[in-house]
Amino acid sequence: MSARQLALAIALSALVAAMPVAGQAPQKSYTPPKTPWGDPDLQGVWPGNMGVPMQRNAALGERTALTDDEFAKKQEQAKKQAQADSESTAASDTKVGIGPPSYWTERGKPTRQTSLIIDPPNGRLPPLTPEAEKYRKEARGGKGLPGEWRGAADSWEDLNIYYRCITRGLLGSVIPVVYNNGNQILQAPGYVVFRNEMIHESRVIPLDGRPHAGPDIRMYMGDSRGHWEGNTLVVETTNFTDKDAIGSNGAGYPGDPGYHSDQLKVIERFTRTGPKNLDYRITVIDAKTWIRPWTILLELQKDDNYQILEYACHEGNYAMGDILSGARTVEAASEPRP
Amino acid sequence: MPDGHPNLNGIWQAVNSANWNLQDHPAYAGPMWELGAIAAVPAGKSVVEGNDIPYKPEAAAKKQENFKNRHTEDPEAKCYMPGIPRANYMPYPFQIVQTAKDILFVYEYANSNRLVNMGKPIEDASDTWMGTNNGHWEGETLVIDVTGLNGLAWFDRAGNFASEKVHIVERFTRTSPDHLTYQATIEDPSVFTRPWTISMPLYRRVEKDAQLLEFKCTEFAEELLYGKYKKTGNGDRK
Amino acid sequence: MRIKLTNAVIAGALLLAAAPLWAHHAFEAEFDQNKPVTLVGKVTSMEWINPHSWIHIDVTDAGGNVTSWMIECGSPNIMLRRGFTKRSLETGTEISVKGYQAKNGTNRANGSSITFKDGRKLFVGGSNPDIPDDKK
Repeated sequence: MSARQLALAIALSALVAAMPVAGQAPQKSYTPPKTPWGDPDLQGVWPGNMGVPMQRNAALGERTALTDDEFAKKQEQAKKQAQADSESTAASDTKVGIGPPSYWTERGKPTRQTSLIIDPPNGRLPPLTPEAEKYRKEARGGKGLPGEWRGAADSWEDLNIYYRCITRGLLGSVIPVVYNNGNQILQAPGYVVFRNEMIHESRVIPLDGRPHAGPDIRMYMGDSRGHWEGNTLVVETTNFTDKDAIGSNGAGYPGDPGYHSDQLKVIERFTRTGPKNLDYRITVIDAKTWIRPWTILLELQKDDNYQILEYACHEGNYAMGDILSGARTVEAASEPRP
Repeated sequence: MPDGHPNLNGIWQAVNSANWNLQDHPAYAGPMWELGAIAAVPAGKSVVEGNDIPYKPEAAAKKQENFKNRHTEDPEAKCYMPGIPRANYMPYPFQIVQTAKDILFVYEYANSNRLVNMGKPIEDASDTWMGTNNGHWEGETLVIDVTGLNGLAWFDRAGNFASEKVHIVERFTRTSPDHLTYQATIEDPSVFTRPWTISMPLYRRVEKDAQLLEFKCTEFAEELLYGKYKKTGNGDRK
Repeated sequence: MRIKLTNAVIAGALLLAAAPLWAHHAFEAEFDQNKPVTLVGKVTSMEWINPHSWIHIDVTDAGGNVTSWMIECGSPNIMLRRGFTKRSLETGTEISVKGYQAKNGTNRANGSSITFKDGRKLFVGGSNPDIPDDKK
């Protein structure tokens, strides 16, 4: 590695370490450049960084940032993990697993943020409404909503929307996961486009103040409308279906927010806080599901070297056929299901 | 646009029968009598210059086979991304988002999209459904050089196709405030004996508040793709 | 042992991160824990597709019979960003695979461990941008 590259890497780590994490609104001291038609310029590739949990560890209370000690420990852990990721399990007597090897991952750089959720102040999801609890328990005749695979594979409907390669939904598409956390903002006169790598979303957001589509039109990614408040882009999205979960991969694993209703309204705020920094906060309002709104914060860094590549999920989804046919094979052999 | 180039921003759509069949064709029956006239194909005039698609003999045979099996083998039925050039003449709108630098095409069908790189050309790293797209201006015409396609998409519902070695050069020219002329020259020596060209107008969607809606069609193709693996099989469809 | 360290580190990271690692794909639904496989074969092609790429290999047994297998690998986007392209894995290359066979009985397996025949690791050895002092 050249001295210049090493210096850059050190500088980047220092920048990440110094980034403020706060529940309050971003500092307004930075004025971003403008597009040729006069809009604040938010363009670039802003990849997500895995490693900030959705919900805050209860022991951390209302702390939004790790201490120097805690952060140093996290950086060390991340470094060890990255080294482990780079090695495949290759010894002849290595126990081989059914899950994927860890070198499949792109974890990004650790940050001090203690949780993605910054409101409520304890960094944890507000309680579900009784209606939502009941709905989740009783859906599909008591089977519950498809989330993490729990053994049933009667049809594709037993697998979640992401396994089916349909979409990861509006929030899900930006919540960082094990890889492919590519986010890109493009701007044209009167429009902003938000692209996500997984699963090739391109959300075209008009800025001309037109009304939303009528209530009979429902979409997985909803219907977005944007406007500027100073240098902050505010995007309001409605017209969601009720067929998807909030969360990166569909519901089921601990801490996942789970399914939303069709009353969901999402308000996103994008503010550039520095040449390479984007403060991206998302407020979730769904009175049918959670008793109060909640907000997540993603602090993103520009990386125009990150290549967003095509993620044609459905077209290559061998797994769906294999999972279903595998279940049928097992049934035919009368083996008990695991 | 502020840089002096033509402004191609907007929502556009083809209005012709190219997606059914690129060449001259009479009206003919569709593959499913159960849908009656809805599944039938209207007559259409060729968008292929000279009406001839110059297949090599073995490729011509493959095209016939595609046509015979189109109701299950057409990637459109499976909700697979349509590739280039077909994405541009599907019966769904698409939006050109022309930034100050690169140009994004967002297609309503199957949520497909492609970012056309207007800077220094990049090489295709792998084969994809929507290709590696390098663009530049020639006067008033946007020229896009497309490589890195995977050869799995079709060019229409009649089974016309090329391989992953195909090289396509597209030309978009604005001929009036609400019209584009679209041309694509297709070259693939492993399938065709010479390059051939398609050409058609594209029309702006001029209604107030025109926008793309969502056609994430995977869920409409699951029965077709996986129905035979369902627990109760395709027999008792509701 | 290397694999144990990996598991411990992942577990530790989970405590702090609590993020789903492999939630997007039910591997246990696809592959059979009771059918471990060890294969050595020559690469015939590679599908650089998502959600997972697949390497096709021809395995020749002692009697000279050839069977074709498909090995499931990771999302190609990560490989491509690390500098591997469709030109990086040549057909004819011999590789060693350890994994589990598909539940549906077909010749498909997950590529838990994939190396060149001499033991050198496949897909790694490119730089990992997550490692602070690794070059991109």
